Amino acid sequence: MLFRDAFKTSTRSLAHGKMRSVLTMLGIVIGIASVIILMSIGQSAQDLILNQVQGIGSNLIFIIPGGSGSGRFSAPAAAQGIVITSLVERDADAFRREPSVSAAVPEVRGQAEAVYGNNDVKVTYDGTTEQYFGVRNLPVGRGYTFTKNDVDSGAHVAVIGPGLATTLFGNLDPIGKSIRLDQVTFRVTGVLEKGGTGAFGIDQDNLVLVPLVVAQRELLGITYFSDIVVEANPAYDISFVESRITFLLRRNHSITDPNKDDFTIRTQQDALAILGNITSILTIFLAAIASISLIVGGIGIMNIMLVAVTERTREIGLRKAVGATNRDILEQFLIESVLLTFVGGMIGIALGALIVALIYFVLSTFFSIGWVFAFPLTAVILALIVSGIAGIAFGIYPARQAARKNPIEALRYE
Amino acid sequence: MIEVRDLQKAYHDEGGSTNALRGVNFSIDKGEFVSIMGPSGSGKSTLLHILSFLDRPTGGSYRFQGRGIDEMSDLELAHVRNKDMGFVFQAFNLLSRLTVYENVEIPLLYADGAPAQRRARIEEAVRSVGLEEKIHMEAGKLSGGQKQRVAIARALVTDPNVIFADEPTGNLDSQSGLQVMEILDALHKKGRTIILVTHETQTAEFANRIIRIKDGLVESDAPVAAKHMHNAPLK
Repeated sequence: MLFRDAFKTSTRSLAHGKMRSVLTMLGIVIGIASVIILMSIGQSAQDLILNQVQGIGSNLIFIIPGGSGSGRFSAPAAAQGIVITSLVERDADAFRREPSVSAAVPEVRGQAEAVYGNNDVKVTYDGTTEQYFGVRNLPVGRGYTFTKNDVDSGAHVAVIGPGLATTLFGNLDPIGKSIRLDQVTFRVTGVLEKGGTGAFGIDQDNLVLVPLVVAQRELLGITYFSDIVVEANPAYDISFVESRITFLLRRNHSITDPNKDDFTIRTQQDALAILGNITSILTIFLAAIASISLIVGGIGIMNIMLVAVTERTREIGLRKAVGATNRDILEQFLIESVLLTFVGGMIGIALGALIVALIYFVLSTFFSIGWVFAFPLTAVILALIVSGIAGIAFGIYPARQAARKNPIEALRYE
Repeated sequence: MIEVRDLQKAYHDEGGSTNALRGVNFSIDKGEFVSIMGPSGSGKSTLLHILSFLDRPTGGSYRFQGRGIDEMSDLELAHVRNKDMGFVFQAFNLLSRLTVYENVEIPLLYADGAPAQRRARIEEAVRSVGLEEKIHMEAGKLSGGQKQRVAIARALVTDPNVIFADEPTGNLDSQSGLQVMEILDALHKKGRTIILVTHETQTAEFANRIIRIKDGLVESDAPVAAKHMHNAPLK
């Protein structure tokens, strides 16, 4: 039998049961559409997250105290809640003298009760240097940042996040007013620009920034750093800078065995790789859930095809009597099921694209989220291949049942 | 053309075995019009199924156009059914949602040959049963007699050597039945071999030879003496 004839025969019989064909297809349409939507949302979310991380600055290197074992992505000791005191001013100084480093910003971090008048709120504060604002890309919206002089002299000044400003001061202008952090008084010199929650979960909106030494001595009572952020000199390759930092830290800390490093270096690339991995896994996970509906749709097709085979027993008998081979019959029913899933798949892709576009429109128009419209071509190709395979996988059993029918019994079938 | 020697067919099931055919012998030449008669359960349907390659015997030999059924694969049988045999059934077995044209086309879908030549053959076959005006009508909307004529056109379209007709008048009134038999008779006169299974004597007598089957054996095999009773009612 010519494929053209087989195709025509199949489309004719599908067209005869239009309602049934459409309902059968619906399972595949929904399945494919949800795979498309979830893969596309996953892609968009990934783009969004990666863009935010990149927004921090791609030439930053984070030095965290404590080794992280051999794995590139394993958590450093400091992140596991262990207090490590190895990162000190001597290290920051060594970085500042290193030509491939353009800035080294130590940070100490703690939590305290922030009080103004009768208002108080629990906040996270960062003790740091004046370079923090430039390196971290956190500009001040109102007032001024503290200066090198403030940092060196241990001035009691603070820059606060815009959310905290509203919480503590309401409609008042916070500039020049004094707040207390754990009984230590600071004069507010500036308010950060509104930025929301930045990457790595730092709530910029409610942050308090104070000079490093004041935070170390008066708030925390420590001499070491929570971390050091290094801005690489753009003239140097970031991996070279990383190797220089490693060298300096090993020298300062007298480490000879690289396996016993008491620090962990994380670059933007590491962060991007980790986040990319996490979001990819999430996307795959979402697609896997969506594909369950595809399986359900496929079973629906198998079910309807089995019914069709039974209903058309006499037709099969007749076709065999006038010379159709088992293969001809198998082909006819397989083409029908593949047509159902393939057409269903295409409608599903179109529906998915429509919904993805709608989500993009709603998010960007009404929520002003920097949502990226992503419609991955791989998802489309995958969807078409999967729907075709589903047609064969779920159609082969009914088609075989049809092909195996004995023509004599089939012709007698009432 | 058809040569049957000691043909046997046994069915096996849990209750034991049934011998539907127990050693049938006859031969049919090209151009003959043969009726196979017998009461129900005589084995005549089994015989027709084997003659028309829908089933295989369990013993004896059957040669069709010089080739033994045992030497042929299922694929070859399907090919011969398509090319050399035409089928007319009691229940018509038309696909009611397809048009007359599409129904007649079905055997050609499984034949070799260019699709371009189909149209002329289909139109010719439909014309020969006098339904050219209904060629694009859905088969389901035709009367019983018209349906059977479409079925005959479908059997003719591949220009087969033999037409097997299994109780072709069984579902028809006498008028339509007569019409169908006249078409078969005309086909025979043009040189086609026709093998008819029926239990109606008057229908059987359109043939020039009647083979009677009883209990899986040939009871009698004789020419029809006084042929043609066209003007007499069939029932």
